[in-house]
Amino acid sequence: MNAPVVVTNLSKTFYDEGRGEIKAVDSINFECQEGEIFGLLGANGAGKTTTLRMLSTILAPTSGSASLMGHDVVKNPEGVRKNLGFYSATTALYPRLTTRETIEFFARINQYPAERVPERVDYLIRRFGLEKYADARIEKLSSGMKQKVSIARTVAHDPAILIFDEPTVGLDVLNALDVQEMISELRTDGKTIIFSTHIMSEAERLCDRIAIIHDGHILACASLAKLREVTGEHYLEDIFVLYVKTASVGGPAGSEEAAKRCTETIRDERLRMQAREGAVSNETVGPTPNDAI
Amino acid sequence: MVLNWKDVRVLYLREIRSALRDRTIVTNSVLLPIFLYPMLIWLVYTGVTFISGQNEELKSRIMLKDLPAAHARLQKAFEADKSVILTTSANPAEDIRTGKLDAAVEFLPAKAGIGIPNNFETHVTYDESRDQSDHARSRINKKLSDYRQEFLQQQATKLGISKTRLENFKVDDKNVSTNRQVGVFMIALPIFFIIMLAVGAMHPAIDSTAGERENSTWETMMTAASSRTSILVAKYLYVATMSFTAAFLNLFAMMISMGTVLAPMIETGRGNSSLQIPLKAAPVILIGAALLALFVAAGMMILASFARNYKEGQSMVGPFYVALIIPIMFLQTPGLAFTPRLALVPVANVMMMMREAIQGIYHWPLIGITVAVEAACVVLALRLAILIVRHEDFLLGRYNGSFGKFAKERLLGR
Repeated sequence: MNAPVVVTNLSKTFYDEGRGEIKAVDSINFECQEGEIFGLLGANGAGKTTTLRMLSTILAPTSGSASLMGHDVVKNPEGVRKNLGFYSATTALYPRLTTRETIEFFARINQYPAERVPERVDYLIRRFGLEKYADARIEKLSSGMKQKVSIARTVAHDPAILIFDEPTVGLDVLNALDVQEMISELRTDGKTIIFSTHIMSEAERLCDRIAIIHDGHILACASLAKLREVTGEHYLEDIFVLYVKTASVGGPAGSEEAAKRCTETIRDERLRMQAREGAVSNETVGPTPNDAI
Repeated sequence: MVLNWKDVRVLYLREIRSALRDRTIVTNSVLLPIFLYPMLIWLVYTGVTFISGQNEELKSRIMLKDLPAAHARLQKAFEADKSVILTTSANPAEDIRTGKLDAAVEFLPAKAGIGIPNNFETHVTYDESRDQSDHARSRINKKLSDYRQEFLQQQATKLGISKTRLENFKVDDKNVSTNRQVGVFMIALPIFFIIMLAVGAMHPAIDSTAGERENSTWETMMTAASSRTSILVAKYLYVATMSFTAAFLNLFAMMISMGTVLAPMIETGRGNSSLQIPLKAAPVILIGAALLALFVAAGMMILASFARNYKEGQSMVGPFYVALIIPIMFLQTPGLAFTPRLALVPVANVMMMMREAIQGIYHWPLIGITVAVEAACVVLALRLAILIVRHEDFLLGRYNGSFGKFAKERLLGR
């Protein structure tokens, strides 16, 4: 049986008046399995959002293919969207609808069986703890509550696949943890989740497998344990930096030689930074690999 | 791109619900049509009433010249009137011109007539360019008319005949005109109607396109399972509905306010002129309005969808709004005929068709041309919209330019 999400040689090229042709995504391949959270980890501008937009049929691929639950994103975009819940910072809610109306509306237009919509709306309101705000307009809700309603509307039609593009951006720690908890629960429900982030701790905590994306290429795609094993680094931050550095020094992504060279560079930088910081304050915690870069 | 009417219904109802909760849209598409023009009419009426009230309070300086002694009662009637000051003048015409006197009444012996003793003719001198003088003339006329009736009654009694026989003939006016004659006021209705169609469509068109981009709800819709055709059709029908509703609310409000406020003003002394739209005109008005609403909605949505926020949307739709209004402003002449050539001009043709229908005139061939032209405009606008929507960067709001630039680069390929 095919995986719920299959991406094959997917590419997207934009034309920019100033910069000319830009390859935002370059021949990427991956698959996502049922009941897993697949993390797409990359810096800003790495190509995460473009990839997810192609998967959600907002953008058409320049070449390659992708299918969700067997529906091709180009040939059957409506079939794809019916099986997909897409959440990103650019998918806001209608401010003048209430929470209940919002969930109901998205359930209906995403083809959830009409007769079961009221029951589904009640269930989601209870599940996301929105009872108090069920009849309040979205414009009156706090950012955290809006985020909850956004997730509720993403799963309103009970799709098999969910895409979360940086869902915790702009949230405080407690709300961000709430969102992570909700996403984790959705995995328990058997959903296939693609989770994009540039926050390493989130990816570490949530993802079953992680793809590191940089400059439109996938540099590595494996479980956290496997990535640790290959790179010899413990923290995802270090692993990420290692791969990105490797790519930027020209070595083949994930190759032993390139990784070694990259690790040495990072350690040298660390030592220099620690010496400098130590002169200023004894309480300063050593810089992270990101700081070194 | 499959059109699913069930989805269209859900999306359409969502648009309407949101719109009715938006202050700007409710104000422009509902409250303004109901209250603005009726209120303006009321203000004008109040202003006119106030000015005429001011005139009523002014005393008229009147000179009576050569009044026969037998008619001293007439003089007494003038003297008893507190709004009249009887005065004299050596040169009444000059004094009236310079404002020292308001009117002069000269009594002359009656020419050949039915031989009533002491009968007379009057010659009233006044200055029509001065309200006060004109008002003095009205007072004199009323006074003379009342006295004439009394005098005729007395003479008839003396002669033992009825007053009617003695009166010889009298002129009584009765307005038997149709709406064609009171059309000066009815002409205004189609103009207000079209302005309101445009005002009613403007904010919903911007809100459902540029507004969605600004609020980041556009992308949410683009990831919904409904086809994009369904989404766009629902938005289009919503904007057309708001446009149509605004125009009809305005029409009804105008009919009511004209009937209660304006009718007494224009019917003074006439009686039965009507300010109602004939029922027979309703289908013509409805068809014209529906086609025009669809055209205006398409035009405004196309332009507004190039904007990335509400403000940009307003500036992009503004010229289209003006382009709609200017031609109809030139067509306000009461005697202007609805010709086949005029029937070919979009928007203006609907206005002329409605104007004639309100007056009870139906030129069916011209109505046919008008409907065909407007339908063609709607089809053209929709074809254009489909061509534009095919471009991915436009659909996602990444296209950075106006409709003009887009048309030049993408549609004309220059």
